[in-house]
Amino acid sequence: MFLQTLITGLSIGGIYALMAVGYSLVFSVLNFSNFAHGAVIMLGAYVGLALATKLNFGFGLVLAGSVAGAGIIAVLNEKLAYSSLRRRKAPSLYLMISAMGCAVFLENLVYATIGSRFYAFPEFFGRQVVTIFGSSVSLLDVGAFIFALIAILGLHLFINRTRTGTAIRAGVCDMTMCSLMGVDLNRLIAIVFLLAGAFAGVAGVFLGIKYLVYPTMGWVTNKAYIAAVIGGLGSLPGALAGGLILGVVETFVSTYISSVLRDVFSFTLLIAFLVWRPNGLMGIDSEEKV
Amino acid sequence: MNALLVEDLNVHYGTIHAVQGVSFSVNEGEIVSIVGSNGAGKSTIMWTLAGVVPPSGGRVLIKGNPLPSKPHEIVARGLALVPERRRLFSALTVRENLIMGAYRRRDEESVKAEMERCFQLFPILRERLGQRSGTLSGGEQQMLAISRAIMSDPKILLLDEPTLGLAPLIVEAVMNTIIRIRDEGVTVLMVEQNATQALEISDRGYILEAGLFVKTGPGPELAMDPEIRRAYLGG
Ligand SMILES: Nc1ncnc2c1ncn2[C@@H]1O[C@H](COP(=O)(O)OP(=O)(O)O)[C@@H](O)[C@H]1O
Ligand SMILES: [Mg+2]
Repeated sequence: MFLQTLITGLSIGGIYALMAVGYSLVFSVLNFSNFAHGAVIMLGAYVGLALATKLNFGFGLVLAGSVAGAGIIAVLNEKLAYSSLRRRKAPSLYLMISAMGCAVFLENLVYATIGSRFYAFPEFFGRQVVTIFGSSVSLLDVGAFIFALIAILGLHLFINRTRTGTAIRAGVCDMTMCSLMGVDLNRLIAIVFLLAGAFAGVAGVFLGIKYLVYPTMGWVTNKAYIAAVIGGLGSLPGALAGGLILGVVETFVSTYISSVLRDVFSFTLLIAFLVWRPNGLMGIDSEEKV
Repeated sequence: MNALLVEDLNVHYGTIHAVQGVSFSVNEGEIVSIVGSNGAGKSTIMWTLAGVVPPSGGRVLIKGNPLPSKPHEIVARGLALVPERRRLFSALTVRENLIMGAYRRRDEESVKAEMERCFQLFPILRERLGQRSGTLSGGEQQMLAISRAIMSDPKILLLDEPTLGLAPLIVEAVMNTIIRIRDEGVTVLMVEQNATQALEISDRGYILEAGLFVKTGPGPELAMDPEIRRAYLGG
């Protein structure tokens, strides 16, 4: 029971972490809370769903298609809703409001075109289980956790080891100076949104498979904001740690205490961190971002 | 041909007219200084040349061609800025700062050679390669800021108060390095507030007051001018 709860928590936490890294990456580069991130996750899930049900794609292709689709949607979102504000150096509050507008717009667009029905993915993994230390846990849970770890590790290496990754970290320090190094900021920011969108696509597919696909499913991104704050806004290892901690704590609270209290507990945790440790676990100072 | 030609440059911040019709030129291989007190508009001129602050009037030619509007396009034309207060990527290591300086350049061999050139100018940087640039001393930070600009292999180097806050011995070292950089074929435009040394090594100097040039001449001559000494050079 304990181990099963732990694995379930880690898999949910892995999904939170996938959502949180994209949100966190955009936050650290552009310094605003991209509340449209949840809508991109939702659209990524619908892209995956369409590929799975209309074209009968297998899991791998569904995931790849959702990553590509959500990545492109995120880039378009930036180009249409944020780039002109950015160019006019609008305060980040404006960007945040624009992001909220996008979230509402996209959700309602889905309501108006696809409708409010709940959809389920085909059962890619059935009810397959694996046995770990004598407990049987769901293959989907273990897979989601491991996939999240690998994807985030890959992103971490990209950010720390490549030329483009170095430019992203330089931009986090000082955007203007980054452009004076010869970096095309519009291109760099497009790459950041492409990455954030790609992770949103992965999160969308896992969420959709684990639960269901519906227009407001992106609201669960609230948990990603909490995870990002717990870990330290702007820190990728922090987003991972924050996501996993939140997922595990939530699962234990709903299993051993009460599922009604789960979200109360999560938001209490958020407020506690904001009050007592606003930099989170890993956000030592603003210079450590990303 | 002029490396840089500025004609009737005007810059506004909202209603503030920070640069009011300034014209000057920098010839290839020269060191030119702009001297003026705090708030005269020196940094504004630099940010405008680098493409960060848009001009409200006038024109700028770089090697006879109009200045592009975006900073990264200007860098590609061979202009590099060492800004006021250095603006290093403080969370990045010294090596990463240098690599960012060479961002445009894809040929790894020449980037390595360029890094060696920086170590020739500032040997201390070699020892600090893995250190976070935010933890360097003020002098080392200025050396890194100049090196980061050099890494792009610029034809024109802009320096905004390169000696601000540095100890006299380091000021001298920086000035000597600027001469050396010029001797290696780079055109230098420099801005200074405390300007005796800057004017002494300059081929020409311009005195800027409230957004307007009030005097110009050969650098050493301006450095000797009693009126200017009284106003800008601390007597
Ligand atoms: N970002 C800005 N917004 C508004 N006014 C500015 C800005 N930067 C500079 N100024 C104003 O423009 C004038 C020139 O400033 P600056 O170019 O920094 O002078 P200097 O470098 O010679 O000290 C000053 O009056 C300053 O207050
Ligand atoms: Mg200045």
